[in-house]
Amino acid sequence: MKNFKFILALLTFNAFLFTACDKDDDHNHNEGELITTVTLTFTEVGGGSTEFSVKDLDGDGGNAPVADEITLKANTAYTIGVAFLDESEADHTHDITEEVLAESTEHLVCFDATGTITAPIIGDFDSNGKLLGLESALATTVAGSGSLNVVLKHTPDKNAADPCSTGDTDVDVTFDVTIQ
Amino acid sequence: MLRINLFYRWILAIIGFLPLSAIAQNDCHAMLFGTVIDAETNEPVPYAEVFIVQTSQGTVTDEKGRFVFTELCEGAYTVTCHHIGCSHLSKEITLVGEMNLGFVLEHESLNLTEITVQEKAVELPATQAERSIEGSQLDASKGQTMGDLLKNLPGVTTLNTGGGIVKPVIRGMHSSRVLMLNNGVRQEGQQWGSEHAPEIDPYIADRVTVVYGANSVRYGADAIGGVVVVEPRPLRQQKGLGGDVNLAGFSNGQVGVAAAMLDGNTQLNAKHSSLAYRLQGSFKRGGNLQAPDYFIENTGVKEVNYSATLGIEQRRWSSELFFSQFFTDIGIYRGSHIGNLTDLQNAIERGRPTDDGSFSYELGRPLQRVAHYLLKAKSSVKTGTAGKLTMQYARQFNRRMEFDAHKRYGTLPSELDDPEMMFEITTHTLDVAWEHKSWRHFTGSIGTQATAQRNTTDRGGLIPDYNSQTAGVFWIERWRKYPFPLEFEAGLRYDVRYMDIENRGNDVIDKQLNFNNLSGTFGAIYKASEHFDVRLHWGSAWRAPNVNELFSDGVHHGSASYEIGREDLVPERAFSTNLTFDFDNERNFAANLSLYRNIVQDFIYLRPLEQPVLTIRGAFPSFAYDQTNARLTGLDWNAEWKPAPIFSITSGASMLRAWNESDEDWLVLMPADRFRFGAGFLPKAGKNKWAAVQAPFVRLGMEHVLEQTRVPDNHDYAPAPGAYTLFNLEAGMGFPIAKRQSDIVNDLNLTFTITNLLNTAYRDYLNRLRYFTEETGRNVSVRLKYSF
Repeated sequence: MKNFKFILALLTFNAFLFTACDKDDDHNHNEGELITTVTLTFTEVGGGSTEFSVKDLDGDGGNAPVADEITLKANTAYTIGVAFLDESEADHTHDITEEVLAESTEHLVCFDATGTITAPIIGDFDSNGKLLGLESALATTVAGSGSLNVVLKHTPDKNAADPCSTGDTDVDVTFDVTIQ
Repeated sequence: MLRINLFYRWILAIIGFLPLSAIAQNDCHAMLFGTVIDAETNEPVPYAEVFIVQTSQGTVTDEKGRFVFTELCEGAYTVTCHHIGCSHLSKEITLVGEMNLGFVLEHESLNLTEITVQEKAVELPATQAERSIEGSQLDASKGQTMGDLLKNLPGVTTLNTGGGIVKPVIRGMHSSRVLMLNNGVRQEGQQWGSEHAPEIDPYIADRVTVVYGANSVRYGADAIGGVVVVEPRPLRQQKGLGGDVNLAGFSNGQVGVAAAMLDGNTQLNAKHSSLAYRLQGSFKRGGNLQAPDYFIENTGVKEVNYSATLGIEQRRWSSELFFSQFFTDIGIYRGSHIGNLTDLQNAIERGRPTDDGSFSYELGRPLQRVAHYLLKAKSSVKTGTAGKLTMQYARQFNRRMEFDAHKRYGTLPSELDDPEMMFEITTHTLDVAWEHKSWRHFTGSIGTQATAQRNTTDRGGLIPDYNSQTAGVFWIERWRKYPFPLEFEAGLRYDVRYMDIENRGNDVIDKQLNFNNLSGTFGAIYKASEHFDVRLHWGSAWRAPNVNELFSDGVHHGSASYEIGREDLVPERAFSTNLTFDFDNERNFAANLSLYRNIVQDFIYLRPLEQPVLTIRGAFPSFAYDQTNARLTGLDWNAEWKPAPIFSITSGASMLRAWNESDEDWLVLMPADRFRFGAGFLPKAGKNKWAAVQAPFVRLGMEHVLEQTRVPDNHDYAPAPGAYTLFNLEAGMGFPIAKRQSDIVNDLNLTFTITNLLNTAYRDYLNRLRYFTEETGRNVSVRLKYSF
């Protein structure tokens, strides 16, 4: 089949020799969707929820991403939901989380923390029963401050000793955290 | 081994000249030389007798079929050529200055009326440093990429992206600083990128020449680092049909290559007119390459190329039509596609793929798919006795598609197989040149060149769409008064380049740029003796900045860097000086030493910025295109010594110091010093062709590459890899396998090669994938060539 495609491509190219595009070809600058926004939704167990986001609406370059500061209560248990959005078009938001979920075996959300918080514990799994990370849990202890790093990995080796050091990175953002 | 091009003039030029009508000038320093070749095999004929009737002077051709008469008076002569078992040829000539006369001998059994005698234009030795690969050495490298083939020449290294994407680097310069001339046409592909390999079928070449240093006058602007000239075999001159079939197999990657060429020639009704044609094609398929300890996944290749040529030769003019297509699919090691700097650091820390992988022919993402077409029409007309006018039009179309490892989010299911990047570039070139014959010891040519180019980026906004037009005029003259030991060559060229840059992706740039500049060349050859000559060459050339250098703005995947172009870059200007010493006693010792200095003003390079660019994918180190004054100094050495006719010992060395004068630091990505040694055993087979085995040889080669210690600070993510030593073994022989008619043979040549004999694990500084994997391991190859 692949060979057939190659031959087909060959023939098409042949046709192109005499027709090839000198001016305005059928341009397709659809560059796919960017992840512009990462939102963490912290839900107090048995309580309300708060959203914190990192946004880089103009994409790579230009303005650097802007991160909200996460404020949590001490000695409290939270569940965390992670969402990835494309908000580059003002009138339409694309939810990329659905795609991550659809290709769950190819994705992994990794957490890292410094200061007085620990990294959240992942509570969901991909279709092979390996960790996914869109849902996780975190329990705070004493008041203080620190940071939380969220990484979305594409095609990590989930069997590796440290899966988070494999694959390529689609998202790598860090929030400052204050625990009151 | 490498043949020094001292005797370049012996190699036949492509188009013949008419006999000159006598110019009344009684100068008894005229010279007649030439080569006698066998019509069937195209091989030179040694020990053929060449005789000038009027002066009763006779000579015998040497082992390479060459003969020479010097100190002749100009005038009309009858020259005869004779060889046992062959036809007796006679030719009336009018000798003026220097003349190269070629005899094509046919065997007696064939029709005697088909005898052809051709006079050829004299191809003078170059004043610049240049070296070629041809003949059996070229055959022994067939099946490899063009870059790997050129690597056999001193001063040439390669810039690799894994094992499949190989760019030639001439004395530290590559990409748009090296011009490639494919079958007389300036190659116009997407050569600006360091992971864009030349789009040329290596099987089309009969000879590949590297010209070192700035050589813009003859070849066109941009050639500030050097020129690679790829020449196909001249079309068949004698009536009949011939050709060859090549098969090659490589153990590493389980690569198979098949190539064939069919050459024909028919005499037309009119006298002295013939029609020649050629069909040529090659096919290559390979799978995952193997490092000593693991497979490098997704490193297969698929390549299909073909070409057709039609040539008509008449008494006064000749025309040629050439058409070729090149298609390749090259897989890129999956693990080299990284998301951000942290990924790169993780990969460097690992230093190898996460698992050992396995063999497969499957080509997945990331993938490059490249197509290149060339259509060329060329005509030459003899302009009386004074010279020859050549016109050439060529159209090239190049399409490059890049398929990223990672499809963008939000890709529609119908577009899953689409490339993330696609560029198309169409180029029209027109060359008109007039060559004049020797006039008061001057020979030369004057010409003009025009190109029109359009680039469209159909997917991915990496580089903008643009139109560009260039025009240039040149004049080059050589003074040579045989047997005076000195000769000179000088040339001038003026080029204008206009660029209209439109939009990049959805961003409108709308900029018009104009560049214009002079190039110049001066060269001298001093023949100290029959065996020793010194060549001095000085050249100045310029190169307009590329669109990527002007307008890049984005993350460069695979190198995890953010590259920022600069719109106000000015052209680079190179001044290169080259001094070459050639010694050849034509018996058992030949050596060549080339010293060079190339000063490039406003050298364009990527300067690291202090602040990384922050994105939602994390941090990327950022680089901006900037200009500096660069100074590249070095030497290339090559020698062969035969202590006995059956032993050959070779040595070679290439050294380069590349200095960034503005930053007072070394330049990044420059090849490390390297040394080569070889020992060959060439047992004497039966002297005549009918012995069972022809020209058997065994050669053991060693290459030692030092660690590149001259690297700038903060330009790289990992230190340059250490020194390495590789051993190669090569053996070959020929068999005459079939007798046809009387004593005409079909040849079968067999070559057997092992590269990286000891399966050494190593990394090369100039491989962009050195962060992720080792170089490929041992590779055993067998090549078969059948000529008929």
